[in-house]
Amino acid sequence: MTDSTSRGGRRGTLIAAAASAVLCVVGVGAVTLGARGTDGPPTPTVAAPSISVPAPDAAPAPMAPSPRNSTTPRFGRFLPASRPTVLDIPSIGVHSAAFVDLDVTADGTISVPGTADEVGFYVGGPTPGQLGPAVIAAHVDSTQGPGVFYRLGAIKVGASIRVSRADGSVLRFVVDKVALYPKDRFPTDQVYRSTFDRAEIRLVTCGGTFDKVRHYLDNVVVFGHLFGDEKP
Amino acid sequence: MRKQSKFVGATFGAITLLALGAGPALASGSSVNANLKPIPGSGVEGSGTAMVSVSGTTITVTMAATGLLAGQPHAAHIHFGADARHECPVIGDDTNKDGHLNTSEGAPAYGPIVVSLTKSGDTSPASALAVKRFDTAPGGKLTYERGSIKVSSAVAAAISAGKAVVVIHGVDYNKDGKYSGTVKSDLAPTLPTEATDPALCGALLAAPVGGMATGDGGAAGGVNSGLLIIGGGALVAAAGTGVIAGRRSRTAVR
Ligand SMILES: [Cu+2]
Repeated sequence: MTDSTSRGGRRGTLIAAAASAVLCVVGVGAVTLGARGTDGPPTPTVAAPSISVPAPDAAPAPMAPSPRNSTTPRFGRFLPASRPTVLDIPSIGVHSAAFVDLDVTADGTISVPGTADEVGFYVGGPTPGQLGPAVIAAHVDSTQGPGVFYRLGAIKVGASIRVSRADGSVLRFVVDKVALYPKDRFPTDQVYRSTFDRAEIRLVTCGGTFDKVRHYLDNVVVFGHLFGDEKP
Repeated sequence: MRKQSKFVGATFGAITLLALGAGPALASGSSVNANLKPIPGSGVEGSGTAMVSVSGTTITVTMAATGLLAGQPHAAHIHFGADARHECPVIGDDTNKDGHLNTSEGAPAYGPIVVSLTKSGDTSPASALAVKRFDTAPGGKLTYERGSIKVSSAVAAAISAGKAVVVIHGVDYNKDGKYSGTVKSDLAPTLPTEATDPALCGALLAAPVGGMATGDGGAAGGVNSGLLIIGGGALVAAAGTGVIAGRRSRTAVR
């Protein structure tokens, strides 16, 4: 405990020095891509009607459902727990079976996949199909080039997200919203909580512009809900 | 949580982050969630999720579970004890070695009942076994949503700090489709122990703090990037220590 406290203190000092640093660090990969003539990963643009970018002073969305006291809640369909095994998003060319667990780290933030080829599933939340939002995150890029979610910012409202689960089910989620959030205003409640009245999904990666010291400033967040099964 | 993110936005980049400490950022509202999993030795093959939003001393609870004994009342509670481990019991808590965990045997893990998740009327511990007011899990599926539940400030703080546990009770060891058997409940001698033994359990934990570092091309190990860790730490500092403290101890327990 003493050790962790002192580490926390030292980290605090570093925070002061690096407070304006952001969480995503863009490496050589993105710069190289830029040099190759691309503009980096697709980013939800402010003007697109399907995109919501919260204004700096906009009130965040409600954090909780308004109290309801129905005897039997009218939840959307939900399923028993089962771990995700394969993620497919045909419209943006995503296919990955390299799932890894994400959990809260000692400093309270979420861990991220160790490589840009892996897809992380937040084990502290619902599995895809259970009541509430299942959170899946992957890297936008690596030193080797694009990551699994390189094109996530290009996904469209209405697009399908297919998740295969360990129990053999294949679930289809439909995209409701694509948004870009400054990391210092990450919508924790909308991502991890929502209204908790149906099975939902969240896909998260880095995005937005990157600043002069090569940091992504934002997170791209895709919101979707369970639409149907492709297999029972 | 709403207020927390405002704080982060307003003060991010400032040295005063650290001075916020356990300040008011989390006092007014937060929410925690639980993954409900079978109690060891219960024979239950079910699962569920729950969310509790805290606003002052009022909570809203939303919960869904599957795989429960169908058509029987399932007592459900929020448990918390200052001396408890703030987690779900393990089979090692089976002190009488009968292979099952009854409610009392789970207490060192999750503590006493602090809220009864009844569908109507009183929600105090006095309604812990108010069988007529609990969900009966038709088809084995339990759904629950109730707002405006008043709790003490100590209980509200414990829930926000990630120290409370949701427990759904009611099992069917002998698989006869009802609460039966000769062993009586440790809570109410008129009931079979099947009616009150814990079935599903989940610790109510806070969500991760801040955004995600999912673009670190420069760090081969991803999570090992010093900058990432520093950045995350900044958000943690801004968020106050209530949730964080709970989180830390939870992480340590795991
Ligand atoms: Cu209980």
